[in-house]
Amino acid sequence: MFEGFHSVLRLAGLKVGVGEWLTVTQALDNGLIGPSLKEFYSTTRALVCRDEADYDRFDQAFSAYFQGAALPTPVSQMLESWLDNPLAKPPLSPEELAALPEYDLEQLRKLYEERLKEQTERHDGGSHWIGTGGTSPFGQGGQHPTGMRVGEGASGRGQAIAVARARRFRNYRDDIVLDTRQLAVAVRRLRRLERKSRRLELDMPETIRKTAANGGDIEIVERPERRNQARVVLMLDAGGSMDPHVRSVQAFFSAMKQGGGLRDVEAYYFHNCVYAEIYSDMALLKKKSLAELTRSVPPNTNLVMVGDAWMAPRELFSPYGSIEYGTTDEVPGIDRLRDLAAAFPKRVWLNPIPENYWGESTIRAVGEIMPMFPMTVEGMVAAVQVLLGRGDRVAKRAPKRPWPSPQEMF
Amino acid sequence: MSISSQSSLPAWTGTPSYIADESLQAIVNVAIGLGRPLLVKGEPGTGKTLLAYAVAEGLKLPLLTWHIKSTTRAQDGLYLYDTVARLNDSRFGDHDVRDIAQYIKLGPLGEAFERSQKGERVVLLIDEIDKADIEFPNDLLHELDAMRFTVAETGREIVAAQRPIVLITSNAEKELPDAFLRRCVFHYIEFPDEASLSRICRVHHPDVDEKLLAAALRRFVQIRAVQDLRKKPTTSELIDWLSSLRLSGIDAAKLEATLPFAGVLLKQENDAQKVFRTTLPRR
Repeated sequence: MFEGFHSVLRLAGLKVGVGEWLTVTQALDNGLIGPSLKEFYSTTRALVCRDEADYDRFDQAFSAYFQGAALPTPVSQMLESWLDNPLAKPPLSPEELAALPEYDLEQLRKLYEERLKEQTERHDGGSHWIGTGGTSPFGQGGQHPTGMRVGEGASGRGQAIAVARARRFRNYRDDIVLDTRQLAVAVRRLRRLERKSRRLELDMPETIRKTAANGGDIEIVERPERRNQARVVLMLDAGGSMDPHVRSVQAFFSAMKQGGGLRDVEAYYFHNCVYAEIYSDMALLKKKSLAELTRSVPPNTNLVMVGDAWMAPRELFSPYGSIEYGTTDEVPGIDRLRDLAAAFPKRVWLNPIPENYWGESTIRAVGEIMPMFPMTVEGMVAAVQVLLGRGDRVAKRAPKRPWPSPQEMF
Repeated sequence: MSISSQSSLPAWTGTPSYIADESLQAIVNVAIGLGRPLLVKGEPGTGKTLLAYAVAEGLKLPLLTWHIKSTTRAQDGLYLYDTVARLNDSRFGDHDVRDIAQYIKLGPLGEAFERSQKGERVVLLIDEIDKADIEFPNDLLHELDAMRFTVAETGREIVAAQRPIVLITSNAEKELPDAFLRRCVFHYIEFPDEASLSRICRVHHPDVDEKLLAAALRRFVQIRAVQDLRKKPTTSELIDWLSSLRLSGIDAAKLEATLPFAGVLLKQENDAQKVFRTTLPRR
């Protein structure tokens, strides 16, 4: 039963293995799931989701699979009468097709619902209303490339679908930007424990061994406590384009400083890109030379850069690229980044802007030098894996929208 | 699976004081039917822990609770060997210390197994599992799967005759391991909507004035909608707030422009100021 549903769930990005799916069928076979669609919805959700972050994906898969039931009855009956006997129209040329606006699912759904509210009669061959044979994104037999097919057997089973379509769990997806606690948990994984502390603790096994060897006279043995030896050099972009992300950067910063239990966290600031000098204060007044920083890097030091890497190409690729008043550097920013990369084998770049903008030329160029991750829970966990040298466990993600490389642009 | 998970238990339908919607009822019954632990997450104050009490009460089964702390180990749930008591007895000698069995104390999970041998099914609550070490859930996997363990000191094997009903709560302070999650039925308790809140309030304040309840609820929902609160008020705080409002005999109309007993709802200075700024009319 519902074999197709299993693959739709997997397509939506849920890790539903054979085991989970067998559990669902077992529950169905044993009559544990009642006949209503709503009960099927909530129980399968409980069996295949492992985290509330999965709920949104589940909702999308559920409404996609049971799509026929997506509309409440009265509207759909009216719609069906508009959509009967679709008008046939010659196919569009590729140019005409390309001229039509493309929509993603979310926009489409909103538009559709607006249209539905306004529309009062049947339309054929048009470009706006829900109808047949046209270029409107909604209707039947139409030619819109990213349009939505409306109709066919709306059966009014609607309740669970309506729940699923509401997508109330969007906020629980783990690609949202982090709060401090989750971050601190992620940062804590960076720890490198070594017995280098000056504080001593009782070495129990050794004490017992020595005491036994002593014939029962207690001899206490001590050893240095284990302490976290991991260090982090933080470099934060203080440029104007980062202003919208101030809150998430603050959260990140405090988690690094306090929550991580790291041995040492040094913070530096830069404006858009790193040049010959970096700053140890946010107002960009106290300078420190980059060469001084990269000269001697203690072991177990991780470089974490935070910035949007979004700037004018000349700020990154040209000599004298800095737009900061009073700074001149004949070396292009990108080469300064390469210097940093050479000095810090363990390095990542966290980017607060959404991944679908990462096709921008400067972001891509920076991403080639610094492994780049989104500033979200998922991204932070993946970044920590890379810093721990387990980068091969992280699936490489290609930018979603390919843009021309800098070479192609100039 | 040799241990029966099917049983003649009636379906659980909530209790008079614990309101469970249909989907929660269905999920609880599926978890019981499949013999899987039910992992419950949700905002504080949504009744995660109370759910276990309600399941036990509704099914008329005894409840064993195991509250997890940061120092809890999986072993503690099975049994403890009280070596100190044995050492003490050996020095002051009124017991036969050769019998180790008398120093073995079963933990909550061990007790659940043992009671099932006597034909007694229990509900076991493992509360706030995320408080323990990251590896803790993994250490429990085998015992939860096989429903048996051996007391190493005496060689005695404790086997469950019937699967206990296991409910686990988590506040998501730590991520739980995948292998563990795969064996659980998962449910996230959403924060109740206004209608459910009103039902919950009526359970705790059956004779509340309708106007007061409506006004208080409206205020409460408004406060929860304020952006970026560090700690949103929870259901239990709402119930306490209602008690304070009723005790002091405040008029419902007064809630429009003021927020009496704000401290019952808002426990952080910043939050209180934010709420005052955004929801109270300017003077």
